Amino acid sequence: MTKRRYKISQLTLSLCLAIGLISAVNGQTPQPTPKKEPAPATPKREMPPKPMSVPIPVGPRAMPPQGERVTTEKSIMVAPDVSIKLCVLEGKLKINGWERDEVRLFVKEGSRAGIKVLEKGGESGKPVWLLVSNMSRPGAGRGQFSDCIYGETVEMDVPMKASLTVSGRTTHTTVDSVKKIIIQNVEGNIALRNIPGGISATTYQGDVSVENSSGAISLESAEGNVIAFEVNPGQIGDLFKAKTNSGAISLQRVEHRQIEANSISGSLLFNGKFLSGGLYRFKTSAGSIRMLLPADSLCTVKASYGYGVLSSELPLKIITQNVTSGGKNVVGTIGEGDAAAGATVNLTTVSGRIGIGKQP
Amino acid sequence: MSGNCFEMGLIQAFLDGETNPEVSLQVSNHIAGCDRCALALAEAEEETSAVFAALDREMNTLVPTQRLWSRINETIAEEKSRTSVWQRLMSFASVYLVSPSLAVAAGFVIVLGLFVAFWNPQAGNIEVGVLKENPSVPQLPDGGVRPTEGTPTVPSIDSPTSGPSKSAVAVKDSNYSAEKLRNLVSNASVKSVEPKNVPYVMPASASTGYLPGEESYVKTIAELRQNVDDQKDTALTPSSRVSYERDMAIVNDSIKRMKDVVRKNPRNQSAKQALYSSYQDKVDLLNSVVQREDLIASLR
Repeated sequence: MTKRRYKISQLTLSLCLAIGLISAVNGQTPQPTPKKEPAPATPKREMPPKPMSVPIPVGPRAMPPQGERVTTEKSIMVAPDVSIKLCVLEGKLKINGWERDEVRLFVKEGSRAGIKVLEKGGESGKPVWLLVSNMSRPGAGRGQFSDCIYGETVEMDVPMKASLTVSGRTTHTTVDSVKKIIIQNVEGNIALRNIPGGISATTYQGDVSVENSSGAISLESAEGNVIAFEVNPGQIGDLFKAKTNSGAISLQRVEHRQIEANSISGSLLFNGKFLSGGLYRFKTSAGSIRMLLPADSLCTVKASYGYGVLSSELPLKIITQNVTSGGKNVVGTIGEGDAAAGATVNLTTVSGRIGIGKQP
Repeated sequence: MSGNCFEMGLIQAFLDGETNPEVSLQVSNHIAGCDRCALALAEAEEETSAVFAALDREMNTLVPTQRLWSRINETIAEEKSRTSVWQRLMSFASVYLVSPSLAVAAGFVIVLGLFVAFWNPQAGNIEVGVLKENPSVPQLPDGGVRPTEGTPTVPSIDSPTSGPSKSAVAVKDSNYSAEKLRNLVSNASVKSVEPKNVPYVMPASASTGYLPGEESYVKTIAELRQNVDDQKDTALTPSSRVSYERDMAIVNDSIKRMKDVVRKNPRNQSAKQALYSSYQDKVDLLNSVVQREDLIASLR
């Protein structure tokens, strides 16, 4: 029995050493990655195809366009009332109207830009619709923004009767002396002047300023200020609209008969005169509304200011007044004469201050 | 406050959107009429924008967002919970037996077990190390697996009354073919990974007692909000986000205050006008984010 036990002990010890040796050898040998197979009994999960989960940053936080950077200059003869469409990713964009029926494009240190003719005029045969686009060769650094141009500076000279449609990502834009423009920017200031045929300008981060222009005008900024100076309607009924969330709105000598201005937390300044029969709506949530009017103004003021304050340096004849906590409503007239012939001014604020002042 | 003016800390908190709506409104009101505080706010804004500008590159690196990380972690947890005991055991063994010392120890344990078995005949026959079948995974007749307790439950498609908590476990095996079960699992995984598919539920308090015209505002805002919540992380820069949140706080506060006034006096037309105006502001604010994202998308 003792001999048998001794043999078994020897056998076990040998077995143990053998197992340890084999395992040690296995441990030192590079093991292939264990192939993970689903358990045969487990139902196979059919996962739907998923898009890449890592979001590609876009907009102002996106990477600047990578690729070749060249200086390009192009020009083309066009019809005087040509329409031009362009998209700019980044850079200083300057568009200037000139008295030639020609479009000139200059891009400094940027993408290889080109001018495509989308349509030609029937009689003259000259281009009436152009597209300015990125003409870089496929795969040569075009990246994902293939249609939009970019550069340190993008300059264009266009006929003064040209109409433009511009979209941009991070561009500071200056436009002077064209007929009409529709522009929207993700980020960057927009400065427009001498545009007689109407403006629609939107930037989500930056200021919008318009000077010496006319027509139907719509100016919008999410965070920046909106400034308009010496602006007129092109024809009767043209609307002037200014809107910002947190910026200020400053309207000086805006002579439209219909004006709408709206800010949430920014202040609003109107310095000008109300035209007879005009309709003016100024609205803020928490910002102040300040109007500077000529002493001979004639208008009906309808002010609604929940928790705000109303004050007037001009004599305000109260027609109706309903002042309760959180809901103050005043209807009054300013000026002598038939108030019905004057302008109607609607002022709305929740907690801002409304002030009517006299122009110096 | 120091004197009549606010302290810089409070102004900074206001700028960062950390103050509650009442304080925000109080600060806004004060700043509107106080040049000193307005100047302090402007300075704080400049500092904030400078900091954001400095951090902009860091914050814009191509790293997964926190939301993405949480989704990845959820998916991993889900996968783990779906793994059977047998798979876990195998993965444990494959990881730990590659270490020589652990392997030797395992060998000793095995040998010890053999000794015990040999010297203790009363212990009976023991199957060592191998599990022929995972008892925790019941087999279906067609080879499929019925989910066990502890595994994620699967919502039943067939039963309209069953919500996400009602699981397919309650259904008899004969009702579920492997294909059907697979589809259910697939659908469930889609639902669990894509919270966007979950319809937005309006707050219960908001679903009753609307003023005329208020309901349409509330619905529009709910729809827009769903889009904006998904987009604002990518569409807005940090400084824009600060402005957005601040404006949203102001608008929400305006709505709340005006609503209270209108509830007390439904005939107060002025308050109603201000309320609707605030609703419109909120719609416009949400719209601006959506439109911004649309513009960004169009430039891709």
